[in-house]
Amino acid sequence: MRTLDLTGVICPMNWVRARLALEGLGPGEALTVRVDPGEPLESLPRSAEEEGHDVTIDGDRVTIVKR
Amino acid sequence: MTLSDSELERYSRQLVMPEWSGEAQERLKRASAIVVGVGALGSPAATYLAAAGVGRIGIVDSDAVELSNLHRQPLHYTPDVGGAKAENAAVKLSFLNPEVQLEPYPVRLEPTNAGPIVAGADVVVDCSDSFATRYLVNDASCAEGVALVEAGVLGLSGLVTSIRPGRSACYRCAFPVEPPEGSVPSCREAGVLGAMAGIVGSIQALEALKLLTGVGEPLLDRILQLDGADLRQTIVATERRAGCPACAAVPAAAESR
Repeated sequence: MRTLDLTGVICPMNWVRARLALEGLGPGEALTVRVDPGEPLESLPRSAEEEGHDVTIDGDRVTIVKR
Repeated sequence: MTLSDSELERYSRQLVMPEWSGEAQERLKRASAIVVGVGALGSPAATYLAAAGVGRIGIVDSDAVELSNLHRQPLHYTPDVGGAKAENAAVKLSFLNPEVQLEPYPVRLEPTNAGPIVAGADVVVDCSDSFATRYLVNDASCAEGVALVEAGVLGLSGLVTSIRPGRSACYRCAFPVEPPEGSVPSCREAGVLGAMAGIVGSIQALEALKLLTGVGEPLLDRILQLDGADLRQTIVATERRAGCPACAAVPAAAESR
């Protein structure tokens, strides 16, 4: 499973970096990112869901399963 | 080819578009575009190509900036009057995006140099202001198998079409009869509103970006006609013409981009 520490990376750069990492994965593969609380933790999972990926949140860790 | 941190930040607002991707951005970075004419259409077209991150942009224009150009050619400013348009545009665009390689060609496009200038490019954006140059650009792009975005603007009306030589109708397929010289007023003689040219030139940039990245559906075998007076648009279907002297003998370009 790929992981990416995106703490300290503001919107939308955190989603830019997560998207680029997702591009390197196949369907069904997972990416876990750590993001800051507040806007990043609210906005990044929503962006991922809007593109059809499965998203689970555990604390500050967001796991995105590529569709 | 990877994108630097500053490129990721520069292009972040297009990289987050669902339709876009890092791969699309890298394709742009590897791409080469030729903009023919950097006036009313070429100013916005070249600006958006440079801003979006097309790796190499050649700018062909032999004219000098005139005071009467400035109302519709937003790359050229009042202190630039008298300077060469191609070089002025390259300077301005290098301020906008230093990641882009800019190549000014301060020459008039002629049958002798058109082929060598467009050869090797991934897309040609025809922003010229005469029918003679438009047919020349079409023929050279077809002969070299380079994708092309054609457009024209006059007064408050404009048209745009995209061409993949060998696969879709070329400009000569759509308009097989060249208007005799002087029969149609060029924008030099007729009026044109800068904002309308800006719309049409921006559509040309959008088409070129689509052709380069594979995102969206370019105006292939379709001509967009736009009337600025009421902003009504019409799309006219075109098709390849058997025996077209420009593109009939062109083999379909590889499905690379």
